Amino acid sequence: MTAETETAKIARGLRERDKQLLADLVERYQHRLVRYLLYLTGRREYAEDLAQETWVRVLQRGSQYNGRQQFDPWLFAIARNLAIDYLRKKLKVVQTASLPNDPDAMLLLPTSGPSPFEAAARSEDAIRLAGQLQILSPLYREVLLLRFQEELSLPEIAQVLGAPLTTVTSRIYRGLAELRSALEEGDSYGV
Amino acid sequence: MECDRKLRELIDRSFAEKISESERQIIHDHIRDCDGCKRYVELTARTIRGLREFTFRSEADSSVRVLEILAHHTEATRQHNVQFRIWAAFAVALLMSIVGSALVYHLARFLAAPMHFENAQVQAGVLVFWLLPSFCAALCLLAAPRENRGIA
Repeated sequence: MTAETETAKIARGLRERDKQLLADLVERYQHRLVRYLLYLTGRREYAEDLAQETWVRVLQRGSQYNGRQQFDPWLFAIARNLAIDYLRKKLKVVQTASLPNDPDAMLLLPTSGPSPFEAAARSEDAIRLAGQLQILSPLYREVLLLRFQEELSLPEIAQVLGAPLTTVTSRIYRGLAELRSALEEGDSYGV
Repeated sequence: MECDRKLRELIDRSFAEKISESERQIIHDHIRDCDGCKRYVELTARTIRGLREFTFRSEADSSVRVLEILAHHTEATRQHNVQFRIWAAFAVALLMSIVGSALVYHLARFLAAPMHFENAQVQAGVLVFWLLPSFCAALCLLAAPRENRGIA
C-alpha cells in the first residue's frame, strides 16, 4: 500500500473540514498568502483582510480541491480571484465611471498610500528595487513573486493566473527588465 | 556591442526556467567575451537576489485571528445546517403524511367492503388516526428543543 501523498492528505482534510489540518495550513501558508496579496494589491491592509477571506473560502470550497495538483497554486488562485472582486467592489463605491471588464485590468487601477516594499527592503539592491516595485504593474509584480520567491513552476503560475504559459513568461521577462533598469540607473548615478 | 536578441532571451530564460546544458554552455561561452551580456547576467542575478531579500512580516496575531474567524465560521455553518435539516425533516414528514393519507383515503373503498365498513368510516379513520398524528409529529420536530431533535 502506498502512503497517502501530502496533497491527497490535504484534500481529504479539507473535505472533512479537519480542524487540525486547517490550523496547520494557516500556520504554514498565512505569511506567504499575505505576501502574495501585498504584491498583488500593493496595500498592507487589503492584504491582511483578503488573506482572512481566502481562508474562509478555502473552508467553504475545500471539497473542490482534488489533491492532484499542488496546494499553493490552488490557494493563490482563490486569493487572486478574491482580490480582483474586492478591488472591483471597492472601486465601484468610489467611482461612478464604468469599470473594466477584464479581471486583470482591475489590478492595474492605481492605488495610493505608503509603499509596503520600502519597509520590507533588507539590502541596498532591495531598497533600489522597492521604489520600482511600487510603480511596477501588479501583473508583473505578481509573476515575479510567484516565480522567484514562491518558487512556483511556470505551469503552476499559469494555473494561478488562469492565463497561457506565454503570457506568464512574457510578464516575467518584462517585469525583470523594468527592475533591472532600476538597478542599472542606480549604478550609473552611484546611488 | 549589441548582442543578439535571442541570446538575451536565452539569458532571461535561464533565470526563469530550466534550460538545457548545451544552452547553458552557449551563454557561458558568450559572456566570456561579451562585457555587455556579462553585465546583463549580473544585473538579472542581482535583481532576483534583491527580490528575494524583501522580508514581509505579517501581524503577529494574524494566524490566530484567522483561526478564530474559521472557528466562528464553522460554528455558524453548523448551526445553519442543523436549522436546514430540521426544516427539511419537517417538510418530508409533512409530505409523507399528506401523500400517504391521500393514498389511503382513495384506497378506502377497496378496504371498506372486506372489513364491512362504510367508505366514509374508513376515510374518517384515516384522517383521525393517520393524518392528524403524522401532522402533529411533524410539528413536534419544530417545537422540540434543539438538543432533542434526534431525527435532524
